Amino acid sequence: MPERVDRDGTPAYRFLGVEVTRREAAFLVLGVVFLFVIPDIASLSDSLQLSVIHQGLLFGFAAVGLNLLLRHTKLTSFGHAAFFGTGAYATAVLARYAGVQSVGLLLLGAIAAATVMAAIIGVLSLRHTGLYFALLTLAFGQLLYAIALGQSALGGSDGLPIRPGPANQPLLFGTAFSPDVYQVLTYYLTVVVILIGLFVMYRITQSPFRNALDAIGQERTRARFIGLPVRRYVWAAFVISGIYGGVAGGLYAVVRQYVRPEGTLFFLRSGDILFMTILGGFRTLVGPLIGGVVLIFLQDVGQDITQYYEFLTGVVLLILVYGFPRGIVGSLRSGGIVNTRLGELRREPSVLSAWGRSAAQSLERKVTEAMTSLRIILFGVD
Amino acid sequence: MLEARNLQKSFGELVATDDITLEFGKEEGELVFIVGPNGAGKTTFINLLTGFLSPDEGSIVLDGDDITGMSANGRVNAGIARSFQVVKVFEEMTVRENLRTVVLTEQGKTWSLFSMADGHEEVESQVEELLEKFRLGDAADTVAEELPHGDRKLLDVAMSFGLDPDYLLLDEPTSGVSTREKEYVIETIVEVGRAEGVTTVTIEHDMDIVTEYADRVVALHQGTVHGVGPPTMLETDDELRRLLLGVGEDE
Repeated sequence: MPERVDRDGTPAYRFLGVEVTRREAAFLVLGVVFLFVIPDIASLSDSLQLSVIHQGLLFGFAAVGLNLLLRHTKLTSFGHAAFFGTGAYATAVLARYAGVQSVGLLLLGAIAAATVMAAIIGVLSLRHTGLYFALLTLAFGQLLYAIALGQSALGGSDGLPIRPGPANQPLLFGTAFSPDVYQVLTYYLTVVVILIGLFVMYRITQSPFRNALDAIGQERTRARFIGLPVRRYVWAAFVISGIYGGVAGGLYAVVRQYVRPEGTLFFLRSGDILFMTILGGFRTLVGPLIGGVVLIFLQDVGQDITQYYEFLTGVVLLILVYGFPRGIVGSLRSGGIVNTRLGELRREPSVLSAWGRSAAQSLERKVTEAMTSLRIILFGVD
Repeated sequence: MLEARNLQKSFGELVATDDITLEFGKEEGELVFIVGPNGAGKTTFINLLTGFLSPDEGSIVLDGDDITGMSANGRVNAGIARSFQVVKVFEEMTVRENLRTVVLTEQGKTWSLFSMADGHEEVESQVEELLEKFRLGDAADTVAEELPHGDRKLLDVAMSFGLDPDYLLLDEPTSGVSTREKEYVIETIVEVGRAEGVTTVTIEHDMDIVTEYADRVVALHQGTVHGVGPPTMLETDDELRRLLLGVGEDE
C-alpha cells in the first residue's frame, strides 16, 4: 500500500519506491488513463491516427533509453537507431527464418540481439568521449544500415515482412487476431511495456548506480579518483540504453509487420531519437517519450501540409533551443518557465506590458547590433 | 608504507621527475609536506603516485606490493586518495550528494540499480559524520558550484577523507583560499588526519603553515629530492631558503 511521506513540506506518497506528490500523482493517473483511451479517441477522429501515436511512443521509448546516457553521463550517442534497428531486424529474422510466431519470443529475441549489439558497439566506441564518441556511434549505426541494405537475406532496401506461420502474422496469447484487433492489442502491449520500462528507469535514476553515472558525467577525472572504474559504468549504462532501443524496435516490427532499413536504421532516425529527447526535456523521465509522440505527429501532419516538412522540424527545433531549452516537460513542470510566467501573469496582469517592452527592447538592441555589424563589414571600422 | 623507488618521468625534453626515491607512512599518520619552487615536479610526483600518470622508469610500492601498473581507481580502492590543485567536485550535486556519492562508491554500493541512493543507513550516517567533521552542515543542501571557494576546498578534502584512505595526497589544498580561511582549511585537515591515522602528503607553498604543522618536509628541486628533514630544515638550509624564497646569504 502507498505510504505517506513528507517532501519539503509537501505531502507525498511512496509506493514501490516511487515517490510522488499529489499533483504529480494526478498527472500520472491522467497520463496513464490518456494512454489507455487513445485507441477510442483515435477511432473518433480523423486527424489523430493510432498508428502515428503508436510509432511516436515506440521511438519515444528508445529516446527514454538514450536519455540515461545523455542526462547522466553527458555522452551524446548519435547512433541509437542501431539498437532500434537491431531489435526490429532480429524480430524479422526470427519470424522469417526460424518461424517464431509468439510475440513474446520475438521480443525476447529483439532484446537479446540489441543487448549483444550494444555490448559490442559500447566496448568499441566508449574508448572516446565527446565528439569522437558521437562520431563513432554514428559510424557504427551507418555500418549496420549498410549491412541491412546490402544483404539480400535481410531483404536489401525492400526490407523484411514479419508474417510468420500459417496465420501470416505474429500470435498474441497463441491466437491470431484480425488486423484491427491486432493493432489495438499490440498498442496496449506497447503501453504496458512502456509503463514497466518507465518504472524500471525511474528506479535506476534513484539508485546509487545513478550517482556513479552523474559523477562520471560531471567530473570524469574525479570519478576515477573516488575509485570508480569509469568505462565499465558507462558501458553498463550504454547497454541498458541500447536494450530500451531494442525493445522499441522489436515492438515496432511486431506492430508494423514490416521492417525497412530506411525506417529503422538510417542515421536520420538516430537524429530523430536524439531530437525527441531534447524536445521533450532531457532532464525529465517522461520528456523523451512525449517528445517522441510530438515529433512523429508533427512529421506526419507536416507531410500533409507541405512537402518541405523537414523545414517544419527545423523551425520547431529553433523555437525550442531559443525559447524552451528545457523541453516540453521541463518547461511545463513546477518551477519551469511556463508555470513561472503564468504565475506572474495571474498575480499581476500588467507584467504583460513589461514583457512586451523588454521584448521590444531586446529586439531593438539586436537590430542595432546587426546594423553595426553590417556597417563594419561594409565600410570597415572608422 | 608507500614507497617511490627511482621514479622517473619526462615530458619530451623536460625531465619532471628525475630518480626520486622516497617513503611515506613509516610512522603511521605522519604529516608530510612537499615544498619546492614552481616547476620542481611536485604535482608530477603526486600524479605518478596516484596513477594519474605512469612513470617512464622506477616503481611504486604499497606495503611491499608493486602497484606501478595499477589503475587509478584501483589505487583508490587500495587506500590511496588524492585531491587536485584545482577543485574537482561534482558541480551539479549538493554537498550532501557529493559526499553520498563518494561513500556509496567506497562501500561498493554503486552497482546497485534498484536500491534507493539515500536509503543506505550506514552510508547516510557516514555522510552526516563527514558533514560535521568538516563543518559543512550548514551548506549540506547547497549545490557545489554555488559554494564559496573555501567551502569548495573543504568539500574536496572531505570527499577524499570519505574514501577512508590510508594515504592522502593533497595538491595545494590552500591555494586560492584567503589567508583567514587558510588556517581553517589546514587545521581541519590536520585534525581529521590525526584523528583517523591517515598519512597525509601535502604540497604547500605557505612556509608558515609547513613550519607549524609538518612532521617531515620533503624539498624538491628540478625533479630531484633536494632534502628530507624536520621543518627546522627550512630555517637551517640556506640553499633551500634561496630556492624557495629567493633570499640568500648575500641579502
